[in-house]
Amino acid sequence: MPQWFIRGLRRGIVTTRYPGHPDSSVSSLPSPPAFRSEALARPAHQRAAPRPFPPNPYGRGAAPSAATVADLLVAVCPSGALRRDGDTLVFDVGACTACGACRRAAPDAVVSSGEFELAATSRSALVKRIPMTAGAAA
Amino acid sequence: MTADIAIEERAAAELRREVARQFGRSLHIRTLDTGSCAACEQEIRLLAAPHYDLHRLGFFFTPAPRHADMLLVTGPMIRAFAVAASKTYEAMPEPKLVVATGACALGGVYPDDAFTYGRVDGVLPVDVWIPGCPPSPLALLQGLLVAVGRLAEKVSGLSFIARSPEGAHEDATAGGAA
Repeated sequence: MPQWFIRGLRRGIVTTRYPGHPDSSVSSLPSPPAFRSEALARPAHQRAAPRPFPPNPYGRGAAPSAATVADLLVAVCPSGALRRDGDTLVFDVGACTACGACRRAAPDAVVSSGEFELAATSRSALVKRIPMTAGAAA
Repeated sequence: MTADIAIEERAAAELRREVARQFGRSLHIRTLDTGSCAACEQEIRLLAAPHYDLHRLGFFFTPAPRHADMLLVTGPMIRAFAVAASKTYEAMPEPKLVVATGACALGGVYPDDAFTYGRVDGVLPVDVWIPGCPPSPLALLQGLLVAVGRLAEKVSGLSFIARSPEGAHEDATAGGAA
């Protein structure tokens, strides 16, 4: 007990001052991906690898061969957070588990967003539309 | 049409003010596990640890729904639990908030599973959605503060489109390789 007290005095205050001041651990938190629009429409150089997680038996099918980087990303996403809608990549932040499969599959098209303050008051605010600009290769 | 939206927005702003007035200084939370893997529960438990210390912000956990102002729901809402979940919700006094926590609760991991509703709002009316698998304690803290109107929602302004200075250079190299 006395040792704990002394250690506590030595460490000082460890509590985060989060809402008022940024927390120091923010950069190490897992965060959903951000996409580079200009890289999404490029042809994919690799076939979609098998899903990294145990395959979901309830749908979404096996990964097909991908024509563009966007198709590749849709195929490797294990939680179904990505979907293609014409020339738009639809990204559901709410469904994303920040597993990093898309970043591993296409490191030049996907970066970490670094965002962790993701709470939304409506579900539709979490669905983001990412345009695939720069030369429709599909 | 625009008049309706304006009326709705005014009502929403008034509701947010009222929620902040009622819950801004003290809020009691009942957690509800509707079939989660317990990763979300680990992170929720960490909220009470010294580093995050949610009590300094006026949030408290309570074991009884009758004493709770907020239902913090995790998991994909398995069908076997739907009756218990709605009874828990009904047992809470008005006004009450429901926060869906984690990708399962938001419909990410089990959207087509036969044994779940796939998302929490299949059964309960959800006020705030906190994404993440699991959401970190800081993300949960931000969600709680958004729910009581002490922080503004941030995610609706984010585009998740990366703009990089080296993008043009990478374009050139990839084009050459193709």
